[in-house]
Amino acid sequence: MEGLLANVLNGLSWGMLLFLISMGLTTIFGVMGVLNFAHGSLFMLGAYLSMQFVRWVGSFWIGLLLGPPIVAGLSILLERFLLRPLYGRDVSFQLLLTFGVMLFLDDGVRLIWGAAYHVVDPPPLLSGVIPFFSQSYPVYRLFLVVLGPLVGIALWAFFAFTRWGKILRAAAMDRQMAEIVGVRVPAMFTAVFGFGAWLAALGGALAAPHQSVGPAMGERIIIESFIVVVIGGMGSFPGAFVGALILGMLNSFGTTLLPDVQMALPYILLAVILLTRPRGLFGAEA
Amino acid sequence: MKKMGFAFLLAIGFGLVIAGSGIAADKPVKIGFAYIMSGPFATYGQFAKQGAELAIDEINQAGGINGRKVEALFEDDAGKPDVGIRVIRKLVYENGVDIVMGIDSSGVASAVAPVMKELKTPLIITHAAVPDVTGTSCNRYTFRISLNINQNIAMASTIAADMKAKTWTTAGPDYSFGHQSWEYFQKYLSKKKPDAVFLPAADVAFSPSATTDFSAYVTKIMNSKADGVLVSLWGGNLIDFVRQAADMGFFDGKREILMTLGAATEVLYALQEKMPEGIWVGTRYWFQANDTPINKAFVDAYFKRFKVYPSYNAHGAYGAVKTYAAAAAKAKTVDKEKIVDALEGLSIELPVGKITIRPEDHQAVTDGVWGKTAVDAQMPIRILKPIRAFAGKDITPPVEETGCKLK
Amino acid sequence: MRFRARGDVVPVLLILLALIAAPFFLSIYGLIVLTEILTMSLFALSFNLLFGYTGLLSFGQAGFFGAGAYFAVLTLIHGPGSLWAALAAAVIGSAVLAAVIGWLCVRLDEIYFAILTLGFGMMLFTIAHNWRSVTGGSDGLGNFTLPGLNLFGHDISLFHPVSFYFLVLLIAALGALLLWRVVGSPFGLLLRGTRENSLRVSFVGANVRAVRLFAFILAGALAGLAGALFAFFNRIASPEMLHWSFSGKAVLMTILGGSGVFLGPAAGAAIFFVLEHVITAYTTNWMIFLGAILVVLVLAFPGGVLGSLLDRLTRGRKGPPA
Repeated sequence: MEGLLANVLNGLSWGMLLFLISMGLTTIFGVMGVLNFAHGSLFMLGAYLSMQFVRWVGSFWIGLLLGPPIVAGLSILLERFLLRPLYGRDVSFQLLLTFGVMLFLDDGVRLIWGAAYHVVDPPPLLSGVIPFFSQSYPVYRLFLVVLGPLVGIALWAFFAFTRWGKILRAAAMDRQMAEIVGVRVPAMFTAVFGFGAWLAALGGALAAPHQSVGPAMGERIIIESFIVVVIGGMGSFPGAFVGALILGMLNSFGTTLLPDVQMALPYILLAVILLTRPRGLFGAEA
Repeated sequence: MKKMGFAFLLAIGFGLVIAGSGIAADKPVKIGFAYIMSGPFATYGQFAKQGAELAIDEINQAGGINGRKVEALFEDDAGKPDVGIRVIRKLVYENGVDIVMGIDSSGVASAVAPVMKELKTPLIITHAAVPDVTGTSCNRYTFRISLNINQNIAMASTIAADMKAKTWTTAGPDYSFGHQSWEYFQKYLSKKKPDAVFLPAADVAFSPSATTDFSAYVTKIMNSKADGVLVSLWGGNLIDFVRQAADMGFFDGKREILMTLGAATEVLYALQEKMPEGIWVGTRYWFQANDTPINKAFVDAYFKRFKVYPSYNAHGAYGAVKTYAAAAAKAKTVDKEKIVDALEGLSIELPVGKITIRPEDHQAVTDGVWGKTAVDAQMPIRILKPIRAFAGKDITPPVEETGCKLK
Repeated sequence: MRFRARGDVVPVLLILLALIAAPFFLSIYGLIVLTEILTMSLFALSFNLLFGYTGLLSFGQAGFFGAGAYFAVLTLIHGPGSLWAALAAAVIGSAVLAAVIGWLCVRLDEIYFAILTLGFGMMLFTIAHNWRSVTGGSDGLGNFTLPGLNLFGHDISLFHPVSFYFLVLLIAALGALLLWRVVGSPFGLLLRGTRENSLRVSFVGANVRAVRLFAFILAGALAGLAGALFAFFNRIASPEMLHWSFSGKAVLMTILGGSGVFLGPAAGAAIFFVLEHVITAYTTNWMIFLGAILVVLVLAFPGGVLGSLLDRLTRGRKGPPA
C-alpha cells in the first residue's frame, strides 16, 4: 500500500512539472500553430536563473518571482524578431528555427554556467520531510503535487472567465475571424509566446530543487512534453493535464513494474494515439 | 555554376588540409587525455585535469621526460563510446600524441581498447573499471593502473559477508558497469556466504545514466524485501540518488548499504553534510589512507594549489603521468612500442602505494581501501573511519581467471 | 528540378575526381574527417528524399540509420563475417523496418508526421538501449572484427584509413547515384507532386500513400546503409545513433546545404564538419554557433548555402526576371 502511494506521489510530482511546461507548449500551438522545439530550453533557462538567484540573494522565492519574467522577455524578442517573419511559410521552418534556438540556448548555458551539473536546495520552508507510513516523503515534492493543479485551475479560470482569455480562445479557434472582429493578432501572438515561455521557466525554476540543474535537462523534458501535448490534444488544457498525469504515472509505475520496457512506454502511447486519434484525447476531431 | 561547384569543393578540401596539418614540432612529449568534461559526471574530468596538470608541472620543473618538456592535450569524451573513439583518433592522428590516458566510463573503455591496436598507441586507463579491457579483450597497447570491478567487488563482498543483511538488491547504472558490478557481487558473496539471497533481475533498480529523478528507484528498493543494497551509481547519478533517497528515509538504518564508489571526493564535496554517516563506501584511492611521504607530498601540493582534497580520479591521472615518466626513463625513449615494453611489469611507488603492472594482462596490482563515512569537524567533507585496507595481491584475480591471452 | 540532363554532369565528375584524389593530398586525419563527411552525406541525402522531394519532415531517420548499424554489426558477430553480407543485412533490415513504420507514418502530414516519426525512432532507440543481451545496451556493440576485402585476389585490410575511405566513397557515390536516378525519373516527379499538392496527385490517379511509402522505404534503406558504414568507421554501433538528436543532425546538414538542391545535404555535411573543426579549435561551445547559423539560414537563406549560391549564379547568368 505504501509502495503504491509512494509511486503515485513520485508520478504526480514529475507529472506536475510536465504539466506546467506542456501548458505553455499547448497554448502556443493552439493559438499560433507553432510547435516550439526551444520550449525545453526555456524550461532549462528558468532552472538556471533560479539557481543564479539563489546564489546571488540566497532566496528561492525571489528567483521564482524574477526568473520567469526574464525568460518571458527574452522569448518575446525571439517571437518578434525571429519567429514572426516565418508565419505563413511552411510549418517545418518554424520547427527548424526553434530547433536552432534550442541548440543556441543549450550551448549558451554551458558557456555561462559550465558543463557540470548544479544542485539547488529547496527553500527552508519546504525543505523537510514528513512521515509517510513507516517511511518519509519530502515536503518539496508534495508542494509540487499541490501547486500543479492550482496553477492549472488559475489558468483555466483565466481562459474561461476573463475577456483576454476569451479573445485568446476565439483567436485559437479562428484566427481570421478574430482579425476581422478587430483583435490585433500579431500583438496577441507575442503575448501568448511570452506567456508560454513564462510557464516553461516557472516549471524550470520549480524543477531546480527537485533534480540536478544541467545543460541536458531541456532535451529530455521537451520530448516528454511533446508527447503530453499530442496525447492530450494540441491546444487543450485538460488534455495537457491528463497527458502529464499519464506520463508521470508511466514513469513511476513503469520503473517498478516493467523496468525493461519503461523507457518505450511513452513512445508507444504516442504512436497509438497519433494513429487512432490524431487530434489527441481532448482535441477537436478535424 | 560549374566553376563554383568546384571552387566550393576546393574550399572544403583546403579546410581539411589545414585541419589535418596540425602535426609539426617534435620537441615536447605530448600526452593526450580523454575524460568526461560535460554532463552529470563533468567534475570527474575537472579533478583528473588538475591531477594531470600537477604531475606534468612537477615533471617539467624537474627537467621533463628524458630532457623533453611535457605537453598535455585534454579532450571531452562525454562518456560516450563513439565520441571517445573520435577524440582519441583526433589526439593520435591530428595532435600526434605519444600516449593516451584517462577514460572514466566503462562503455568508452570497452569501445576504445580494441581501436588502440589500430592506432598503435599505448593507452593507460585511470578510472574505467570494466574487467574485459584487461581480460577477454586485452591487447598489447591497453593498460590500467586503477582498480577494476573484480578488485573493488572482491572488497565489497568481503565487507558484505560480515554484515547482517541476508537479501541483497542493487541500485546501479543501466549499462555494463552496473550490471557487471551486480553479477560479480553475487558471484563473490555467495562464495563467502552461501546463504545470501539476491533479488531477481526484474526487482533490482538499474537507472539510465540520464536519470535525474531517482524517486521511483528509491521507492522500488524501499518496498522490496531486501535488507542489503549494493549501490554502484557514481558521479552526478550518485549525488542525485543520495540527496533524494535521504529525503525519502532510505538511510533510516533498516538496511545495510555499500556504495562501491561513494568515497569519490567529487561526490563528497557535492554532498557535504547530506552524505549520511556510517555507510560503507569504496574508492580507488583515499587521500588519508596512508601517510607515506609521497602521498603526503601529493595531498599537500594538490590542496595548496586547488584548495580541495584530491579525488581518486585526480590521483589516477597524476599516477598515470608518473607511471609514463617512469616507463620513459626505463626505456630511455618515448617510442610507443618501447614504452609498451617498458610498462609491462613496471613497478612504481604512487601516492596510493606501490603498484605493479602485470605483463600478462596489463592490469595493475594495486592496494584498495573501503571505509565507513564519518564526521570530522576539521574537514569540509565526510571522511572514512574506520578504514579497511586490502593488499593488492589479495583482491586481484589470478591471470588465468581474467581470460586475457597476451602471453 | 535543378539537375538538368547534362549541364551538371561535369561539376559532379570533377567533385568525384577530387574525392578520388583526396588521399594523395590529405593527411590521415583529414581523410578520416572526409570519411565521416561522406557517410553523413549519404545519411542526409536519404533524409532529403523525404524532406526536400516529398515534403515530409522526418525526425526519426536516425532510427533506420542506427538499425542499419546494428544489423550490420550483428551480422558480423553472429553471422557470416563478410562485409557484403553485413551491408546487405543493413539495407534489407532497415528497409523492412521502414516498410512497417512507413506504412503507419505516411498517413499523417506535417507536424504530426514529424512527431510520429520521432516517436518510432525513439522506440527503436529504446530497443537498442534496453535489449542488453542482443544489443549490448547503452554500451553499444563494439569489439567486432572488420573483415578484409578481397578485390582481384588481393586482400585489403579495411583497418587502414585509406582503404576504408575508398570503400565509403564507392558506396556513398553509388547511393547518391541511385537517389539521383530516382528523383530524375517520372516517379521523382510524382514525389514532388505529392509535396506541392497531394490532392491533385491523387486526382490524376496516383496513390499518394504508396508513393510516399516507397520514398520512405528507400530513404530508410539508404539511411541503414550509411549507418552500417558509420558503425564500421567508429568500430561500434551505439544507441546514440538512433536518438532523435542524431536525426536532428541530418536535418541540420540538409538545411545548411540546401534542401532544394540534390547535393545540398552533402554540401551541408561537409560544411558541418569543417565548421565544427574550425570552431572547436577555438572553443568547445560550437553548438552555439551552429544554432545561430541555423537561425540565420532559416530566416534569410531558406535555400541553404549551396542552394543560395546556385540561385545567385543562375540568376546572374539569366539576368533579372522580366
